[in-house]
Amino acid sequence: MNILIAARLAFSRIIATKTRSGLTMLGIIIGVMSLIALVSVAQGATSGIQDQFKGLGARNLNITGTTNQSLTTDDVKEIEKLSGIEIVTETVSGRVTLSSNEASTRAQIIGVDQNYKTVVDPDIFVGSFLPDVTNASDARLIVLSTTLASDLKLDAYSIGSSIAVGSTEFTIVGILDDADGFGTRGTAYIPLETAFKYVAVPPYLSSITVQTTSEEIVPEVTTNLTALLKARHNITGEREADFVITDASQLLDAIGTVQQFLSLLLGGIASISLVVGGIGIMNIMLVSVRERTREIGIRRAIGAQQSQILTQFLIEAIVLSLVGGIIGVIIGEVVAYFLAQLGQWNFALSPTMILASLGFSMFVGVVFGVWPARTASKLKPVEALRFE
Amino acid sequence: MSTVVEMLNVTKTFGEGSSIVKALDGVDIRIEKGEFVAIVGASGSGKSTMMNLIGCLDRPTAGLVKVAGEDLSELNDKKLTSLRNLAIGFVFQSFFLLPKTDALDNVATPLFYRGVPAKEARKKAMEMLTKLGMADRHTHQSTQLSGGQQQRVAIARALVTEPSLILADEPTGALDSNTGKQVMDLFEGLNREGITIVLITHDLDIAKRAKRRITLKDGKIINDERDVA
Repeated sequence: MNILIAARLAFSRIIATKTRSGLTMLGIIIGVMSLIALVSVAQGATSGIQDQFKGLGARNLNITGTTNQSLTTDDVKEIEKLSGIEIVTETVSGRVTLSSNEASTRAQIIGVDQNYKTVVDPDIFVGSFLPDVTNASDARLIVLSTTLASDLKLDAYSIGSSIAVGSTEFTIVGILDDADGFGTRGTAYIPLETAFKYVAVPPYLSSITVQTTSEEIVPEVTTNLTALLKARHNITGEREADFVITDASQLLDAIGTVQQFLSLLLGGIASISLVVGGIGIMNIMLVSVRERTREIGIRRAIGAQQSQILTQFLIEAIVLSLVGGIIGVIIGEVVAYFLAQLGQWNFALSPTMILASLGFSMFVGVVFGVWPARTASKLKPVEALRFE
Repeated sequence: MSTVVEMLNVTKTFGEGSSIVKALDGVDIRIEKGEFVAIVGASGSGKSTMMNLIGCLDRPTAGLVKVAGEDLSELNDKKLTSLRNLAIGFVFQSFFLLPKTDALDNVATPLFYRGVPAKEARKKAMEMLTKLGMADRHTHQSTQLSGGQQQRVAIARALVTEPSLILADEPTGALDSNTGKQVMDLFEGLNREGITIVLITHDLDIAKRAKRRITLKDGKIINDERDVA
């Protein structure tokens, strides 16, 4: 028999037995809905974190010394000669007491060179970041984090006023937006040269940040950097290096793993409800086969082959599960959309996920429809006709 | 004349061992093309078994049953089904129209199963409904039709495949006497067109309308009489 006719027959049966079909589909609808909604939660929630980490710069490598005197300005000069390096920035840091007219606090102060702005791209709340003061050895300018500014009882109007770093007066040029990025909280920034004068001892650096020309060569550059610095610091054999190189990819990898695990876990739980929905379909199909024994007998009498009866019932099960699946996808995406609003992550329709859900619900229809359909096709025409 | 149904020393038993029941016991019949035969008998006489064999719904335990030249014992389920579709037009007591299906598709269904394209099958079905005066009801489902109308649709379904014979099982059993008479008139008319009809009934008045009556009792033929033309 024509598949189209069988499909039409299946649809008209589903419409004719609305309540029963609706309740049967409910299992699949709930299964697919939770599959879509839960997986989108897993992906939405973690991709938010991932985006934040990407802000750190996937091309950036951070080198920190394990002692105060590990990294030097000469190291930077050699690093700049390596291939695959776009830009290098160096920092020193120290702890100082900051005092405004109204308050004072201990804070970490970081001396940064003119490249820092390009590499790290800090977000400014008000004012500006440190200007290029490469040739001025005593530029006493300072940028504060919002946290620090409020600790010092300063506000947006304080730009241009001065605060004391230790006993030296500095002019505030900007306040950073703490909400974005990491490690800016409670930190003040001053030009590198000025820092060497007041808070740090040249030529020692606390960290060097390298931006590579592309994300792909990060591992290669890491290897080269390690080799270069080990050679320059005379570290041979088993001796532990006096520096650590970190990059964002390790963090991103870890988050990716968490995301996969979460998707699998939540998707797996939702799949169980889909399987339960499938059992519901099987149950109702078995009842249906029994109720329609005589119809099957008539069909067999007028020339339906076993395979044609099998196809008819299988298509009915598939139509049930697929229609349930489609409804489930629609509801699931609506739920996912509202959860995304609630959790403030990006909502995105995933065609892969939708197709996979529909495919899975169809698969459930086939798996749980085969037995009832086979039962129907194996009925003996003589007995089926006599069935009351 | 060609033979439509041939039975030679046919036995059909049910059950096993001591509870064995002989439904048919050494039956011989030959039904030729164009005949109008009534198979008569009380319940338990074996006429249902006879119908199942003629209708290619079952195979004999022993003996030879040939329908449209095919030996049923040699056919597997698939071929037996095809033979039913090609050779037999069933008419049942309770009409047995397909539920949730309109009259047109009910008549077209045997052609669907044969693989005739839907459009062509429906065209033939419509022709047959027109012939039986049911054209204006072709969109009705069985629940919207009276008993007599349902039986006309069922007869249209039986005829649409141009079968070797119409096999009617108590076709007037669920109808009032007037409608029953109309159905028998219809069968007589069809038979005059040359269509072979085999009627299974316990009603002797109905059987009288046929041109030949085969009487069964306890699985054996006890009488086989023909009207003299």
